[in-house]
Amino acid sequence: MAEYFTARGLPVPAELRRNPLTDWRRLSTIGVILLVLYVGFRITDIDVSRANPEYAAGVLRQLVSFDWSVLGPQNEFETFWDGAIGLMIITIFLGIMGTALAMVVAIPLSFLGARNIMAGNPITNAIYVVMRLAFTVIRSIDVLIVVIVMVILFGLGNAAGVFGLAFHNVGVMGKLYSEAIEGIDAGPLEAITATGANRFQVIWTAVLPQLFNPFVSFSIYRLDTNVRLAPILGLVGGGGIGVALFQNIQLLRYPTAGTIILLIVITVAAMDFISAQIRQRLV
Amino acid sequence: MAPLVSVKDLVKIYPTGTRAIDGVSLDFHKGEFVVLIGLSGSGKSTLLRCINRLIDPTSGTVAFDGRDVTHASGPELRRIRRRIGMIFQQFNLVKRSSVFANVLAGRLGYRTTWRTIASRPSREDVALAFENLGRVGIADKAFGRADALSGGQQQRVGIARALMQQPELMLADEPVASLDPATSHSVMKYLEEINKKDGITVICSLHFLSLARRYGTRVVALKGGKVAFDGLPADIDDRRFKEIYGEDAVEVEIGLGPEAPQGMTADRAALDALAQDAAHLDMR
Repeated sequence: MAEYFTARGLPVPAELRRNPLTDWRRLSTIGVILLVLYVGFRITDIDVSRANPEYAAGVLRQLVSFDWSVLGPQNEFETFWDGAIGLMIITIFLGIMGTALAMVVAIPLSFLGARNIMAGNPITNAIYVVMRLAFTVIRSIDVLIVVIVMVILFGLGNAAGVFGLAFHNVGVMGKLYSEAIEGIDAGPLEAITATGANRFQVIWTAVLPQLFNPFVSFSIYRLDTNVRLAPILGLVGGGGIGVALFQNIQLLRYPTAGTIILLIVITVAAMDFISAQIRQRLV
Repeated sequence: MAPLVSVKDLVKIYPTGTRAIDGVSLDFHKGEFVVLIGLSGSGKSTLLRCINRLIDPTSGTVAFDGRDVTHASGPELRRIRRRIGMIFQQFNLVKRSSVFANVLAGRLGYRTTWRTIASRPSREDVALAFENLGRVGIADKAFGRADALSGGQQQRVGIARALMQQPELMLADEPVASLDPATSHSVMKYLEEINKKDGITVICSLHFLSLARRYGTRVVALKGGKVAFDGLPADIDDRRFKEIYGEDAVEVEIGLGPEAPQGMTADRAALDALAQDAAHLDMR
């Protein structure tokens, strides 16, 4: 390859002059990766000597010898809503309510976090920066940590789950919506501004029609994610079917736990399918 | 007579350091059809946008009908803007909205925010919208989506939207640069009509000198953000042309293309214009 350039009196490109086996850039990259893996191996002390495959296999067998009685109420004091199916439905609604609550807060805030809407004035620009920072900070706190804090505020149960989910999603959805707003075609904004419309009229007339599809699409995507997250919230006291699952695991009632896990898997798969169908039809 | 638009010592320096407008002073009078020409980046778009302050100039002033545009406050600026219509190269319609909604948007400067939210246009606004859609010949397309229309039709919607403002001045930023030659003449004919019949002053930037000669009553050429020529279209000879566009430039005529859609997008007026253009070509 290099002859092509030398024959024509051209400078040989740097990547052709390097020998891949002695190139210090390549060697140092490989060296750094190996070093990180070695340090990681030493300090995490991953110990596989205590693994117990026979016991795990036994538990697995119990998990798949499903106990279907858990699907309904367990005794005369329980209702349909205390059974696994009832709890699963409640959990789905936990995800829906959390998403809806987050939407109501995130949609108005997302306009304050969109550069193209807020540019052109130092005050609005500052609001934009603060808003984006807030979304990032809120988003970076994992939903389980938020729910733990909400449990302190609301006590164990669905309220902690819904508000925890909603809080985290204000950060996620705020960012998604803001980016959708920033991605719109600026031409119509310019044209509507030129007619003498005020900022609100410009948003209403030129921005909102462009946002309908991306907003619906992002909302369904987050609804899907949140319904998947909802069963885990019970782990930290956020209510829903997760509470029943972890109680049963702790009581070593594996056939019951296995049934609940199966129920969650079916529900999540169904959600996945439905959400993909709707979003496909939208685009 | 006092000028309708008076530009004084206008300078626009973008944050990147580009001096888009470098000391321009111009007066535009009522009834003129001014064509701005110049290479890409010569400052045509910036100058147009400084007139209705879609762009804030760095220094200098623009006055519209004696009012200082450059220092106008929010509501004052909006009252000035609604007297100035504008059309764009990319039409800038709200694509997902109906043609009717797009045209009605031209009325926003006269409407309260509340009416906008309630989407309750007044009876007069609706009547005016259909009148203007009829004028540009697309009343039958009113309730279709804007992006279902062809380029020429979309630009006509743009004109109808601007006419809703009942403007005294029409700014046109390369209105035909995205259109084929036949459609270009059709759109330019509408601008000529509103200039002559309605007495609306037009300031229009164009790429083609032949269009400038055909439609302009005055040509202003910009070069590097400065005025390189200001005079009658007929006064641009070969020497001036090379001054504006550079030594290597060759003038091209915009005429009827080989497969121009006859009768469909080009209306009668446009075809007349084409015939004149062809005659003009033969003469040379």
